[in-house]
Amino acid sequence: MTTTQNLTSATEAAIKPPRRFAFITRSAATLWANWKSRLGLIILACFILVAIFAPLLAPYGASQDGFERNADASPEHWFGTTAAGEDVLSQLIYGSQISVAVGFIAGLLSTIVAMVIGLSWGYIRGFGADVINFIVNLFLVIPGLPLMIVIAAYLQNGGLVMIVAVIVITGWAWGARVLRAQTQTLRSRDFVTAARFSGEPAWRIVFKEILPNMTSIIAGGFFGAATSAILAEAGLEFLGLGDSSIVSWGTILYWAQNSNALLTGQWILLFAPGLCIALLALSLTLINFGVDAISNPRLREGKSR
Amino acid sequence: MTNSKTRTKRMSVIAGISVAVMLISACSIQIQSEPDPSIPDDTMLIAADKGSPMFEKIFNPYLFNKRVAASYIYEPLTAVNVLDGTQTPWLAEKVTLPDARTIDYTIRQGVTWSDGEKFTPEDVVFTFNLIKKYPTLDIKGAWQHIESVEIDGDHVVVHLKDDDAPAADVISLTLIVPEHIWKDVKDPDTWRDESPVGTGPFTVGNFSSQQYTMNKNQDYWQADKVEIEHLVLPAATSELDIVTKGFDWAYSYMSNVEGTWGAANPDNKNWFPPGGVISLVPNLAKAPWDNADLRRGIALALDRDKIADAATEEYMSKAGQTGLMLPNQESELNPDIPNDGVIEQDTDAALASLAKAGYTLVDGTLVDAKGAPFTFSVMTANGYTDWLRAIQEVRKQLTAIGINMTIKQPQPAGYQQSIQNGDYEVAMGGMGGGDIFQAYNSLLSSEFHVKVGELAPSNFQRYSNPQTDALLAQYKETVDPAKQLEISHQLQQIVYDQLPVIGLYYGGLWGLYNTSKFTGWPTADDPYAPPQTYDSSPLLIFTKLKLATKDGE
Amino acid sequence: MMYVLRRIGFFLLTLWAAVTLNFLLPRMMPGSPTDAAIAKLAQNGPVTDATRKAIEAQLGVPDGNIFEQYLGYLHQVITLDFGVSYTFYPQSVSEMVWQAFPYTVILVGFVTIIAFVLGTLIGVLTAWKRNTWLDALPTLTGSFASTFPYFWTALLLLFFLGYVLHLFPTSGAFGPTATPALTWDFFTDVLYHAALPALTILITSLGGWIIGMRNAMINTLGDDYVTFAEANGLKGRTVAIRYAARNAILPNLTGFGLALGGVVGGSVLVEQVFGYPGIGYLLFNAVIGQDYPLMQALFLMITVSVLIANFLVDIMYGVLDPRTRR
Repeated sequence: MTTTQNLTSATEAAIKPPRRFAFITRSAATLWANWKSRLGLIILACFILVAIFAPLLAPYGASQDGFERNADASPEHWFGTTAAGEDVLSQLIYGSQISVAVGFIAGLLSTIVAMVIGLSWGYIRGFGADVINFIVNLFLVIPGLPLMIVIAAYLQNGGLVMIVAVIVITGWAWGARVLRAQTQTLRSRDFVTAARFSGEPAWRIVFKEILPNMTSIIAGGFFGAATSAILAEAGLEFLGLGDSSIVSWGTILYWAQNSNALLTGQWILLFAPGLCIALLALSLTLINFGVDAISNPRLREGKSR
Repeated sequence: MTNSKTRTKRMSVIAGISVAVMLISACSIQIQSEPDPSIPDDTMLIAADKGSPMFEKIFNPYLFNKRVAASYIYEPLTAVNVLDGTQTPWLAEKVTLPDARTIDYTIRQGVTWSDGEKFTPEDVVFTFNLIKKYPTLDIKGAWQHIESVEIDGDHVVVHLKDDDAPAADVISLTLIVPEHIWKDVKDPDTWRDESPVGTGPFTVGNFSSQQYTMNKNQDYWQADKVEIEHLVLPAATSELDIVTKGFDWAYSYMSNVEGTWGAANPDNKNWFPPGGVISLVPNLAKAPWDNADLRRGIALALDRDKIADAATEEYMSKAGQTGLMLPNQESELNPDIPNDGVIEQDTDAALASLAKAGYTLVDGTLVDAKGAPFTFSVMTANGYTDWLRAIQEVRKQLTAIGINMTIKQPQPAGYQQSIQNGDYEVAMGGMGGGDIFQAYNSLLSSEFHVKVGELAPSNFQRYSNPQTDALLAQYKETVDPAKQLEISHQLQQIVYDQLPVIGLYYGGLWGLYNTSKFTGWPTADDPYAPPQTYDSSPLLIFTKLKLATKDGE
Repeated sequence: MMYVLRRIGFFLLTLWAAVTLNFLLPRMMPGSPTDAAIAKLAQNGPVTDATRKAIEAQLGVPDGNIFEQYLGYLHQVITLDFGVSYTFYPQSVSEMVWQAFPYTVILVGFVTIIAFVLGTLIGVLTAWKRNTWLDALPTLTGSFASTFPYFWTALLLLFFLGYVLHLFPTSGAFGPTATPALTWDFFTDVLYHAALPALTILITSLGGWIIGMRNAMINTLGDDYVTFAEANGLKGRTVAIRYAARNAILPNLTGFGLALGGVVGGSVLVEQVFGYPGIGYLLFNAVIGQDYPLMQALFLMITVSVLIANFLVDIMYGVLDPRTRR
């Protein structure tokens, strides 16, 4: 839902010509100043560190089995063991790698697609714009998850690459729409008009003049896309449409459901991976509060009505 | 910004809560069974039919989407115990084969349809002609074997197209329907048969889209043997439902069965007899899998105990290479085959056999004659979790001898398509199970051998050997059990020596039952029927179960 | 008027594209419906060639080349007759869809409206009480809850409220002995069974509305006319509700149309967990069973509902905000 506010802020934002480095430091400061995005950054940093140092942190291997099956928590296995006799804590730690990676890669790719399409769509006029308009709206209207399920069933065997592809295919449209709205606003600004009169080619105007002014919106789009990528990956894995032989939070849930974790009462097996997914997604959402505040000063903290 | 102290406090509260949650999580919560108290003692709650998610009223026994209970209503000529292949005469009092191309059924007297009409040999002949006229109803393929059917007093004589003695086992399973009702049905191939009239032990009671009940057929021809008065079949039969709702009988794989089903009620029992051999199915039409030494090398490299444990949480054991279900088919076993046909892990022998096939170990990697590493993929169907666990274990073990193996997991439909068209290197699959002849015939007969790219109905590995075909033909021609056993021994030897598929572990039949209301369930000590709730097993079981309360008196 | 005509033209074009995509997608999947049916049967024992042929004949697997199939399909779409389902043979697809439709409409429609209304109201409140705990608490919990995976919330609710505390039924749309009828008892039974799935959707979707409305409100509260109204001495609450909220609701309304698609998608997972006999449950089974006719009908239905919702929102937007009618 973070995208809703982007659309709003996009049309309302006060935009100034580029002053890049100052802008970046100012953005970082604004992000850190906002307690929500600060909290988000801290949580995100934790997850990234866990993902990077997983082999050091995890007490056992990700798919190392041979322990007692379905064991309750104990000093050896803090979160117990799975039905296949694997250590739950180690799986959780290793699982962060997949979610973080999928979130960032899929988020990045769909942001790039959204950027290219959204910007050119916003800049060009006439028939081309109508065609893009049509395609984007088609993707917006077709329900994402059912589409993902069908595509995932079709593109089998691909493992994570497949999941990323599915998420990108179904996930770029929103960003494109938001960016287009922003481009349309910007293209009538004076500095763009000036550039046009000085004879700069269209692509240069779009990517050199307009793009830098949308950094915060693109960043917001990226965090939004990464959030939905993380959730989508987990959903597909849970339905068993991903690669069930890797260890990710989604597959932990899939196997937990498969081995009746609800019945054995090992609710931690369900609770922990889901909580991790939610926390990681939350961290990105929280950061987005700060990002929104950059692009839309009215949303800044402390500035009351 | 303004009140960072309060925030620190808030953070510590959050941290405190997290720690508390972690501590609580250390204790798991045991789910208890909560049976519906309104279900009386002579009524069985049975998880046999799965709604999708609602029940549709389809009792036409020839449609594949029929309600499972259609087979509690319509009965076959003989009921089969697929554990060892024993046939029990059912609507036929006696089955004889005067020669290998004639089956003589003596039809039982004194059986009535549940609407009071008399069951006659004419009904049997009508049924056979019905499924001949509508081949879509001939779901078991009886008319692939039958030439003609004729009536002779209280006998029905089936003439076969060829010497084909084992066909009797297929033909006898045909469910018999009443002529006086079905003769007026316009389109029996789409007819739902909403108020079925059968000869079986139960009739349909209340039917709603989430649950239906069945009542005992008081005029059943074995009414004295059936002590169950009612059956209740709910549509919600997930594993959670099975454990928590107090079912008397269910057929379902249950992970951690002692901790779930067993823990929910002290009278909850389970019996998981072997129902097939889960195997690696190499594509013999693709090099290098046409090389028996390679297949033997792989077979010798595997520790089947570990594979069985990983795949089935230690419920099922490793399987032999003969394809027989032990111990239930023990009498069939060829005594010359060592170790009951089980191939034990022997890495040295494996490497020797692989070397014979041209693969040698160089720096921990198995390479072919040209020095290229040996890699291959194994295909399984997405969602078949025990198969996936098994392959993961196989991969672990093969990695240890320097083989790089990958796993492919298409959706079941895609898996089925690939295995039928020979579009795979190695696949997971089943062999054996049920009737000995049918099992070997579908595994080995070149009748089903087609080229890669064409659709194979069975014999997916594309095995073809004239000597084996000759043995299968001989089996068809004989009605002498001793001769059949002899051929069976030879077939076992072939499967053991040539490894058309590589047996791994037994696939289970997942019977869950409760003894508080009913006793006399099939068990390992008394394997009179598999514990499955579909096909003809329920008929065998319903006529054996006793009320527990009655025993107590 | 031109605006409405343009919207209608676009609506029809998108509809056609969705319909066509809908035809192509299932056909790109590997394996045929027969393969799916056999794979299911093969788990109970070996399947013979005869069985395969019988199933193929029972299913009436599509014949003709892809163009003939496409024409036949278009005809089906126009006449709304999608033939017989493959996985649930011999039931007709229309029958199944109409059976499942009311449950999803009750579940998703009801909950989405509740979430929208509730979320919008809370959003107004948070923006009004900005930087107090009345702002921080709903914003933070709302955004946290909106990151819960649908199926995870569903599983936890099922476990704690259903199995541990026995407060709610654990599966199905009504009790095992109830029969669908237009009676008060049946209606309440359906509501009771819909409680857990509904709660799941409410928990996960409420946060989005809160934050969307909050941001829109904050924006309008900063607008000149609001400042002007305040400067003119109008009461704060009057300004918030009469001026700001009325204008801020517009962007949220757009979100409403599009969110329907997301919620229907999410209902696939929720219905799967609760065994709830709605559209989502059917869809998942149709995909797994390669049930082209059923899949096509369901996809079409979902897409068309979302399209119509968006179309209506577009029209409404055009009426409410003349600026959009360019």
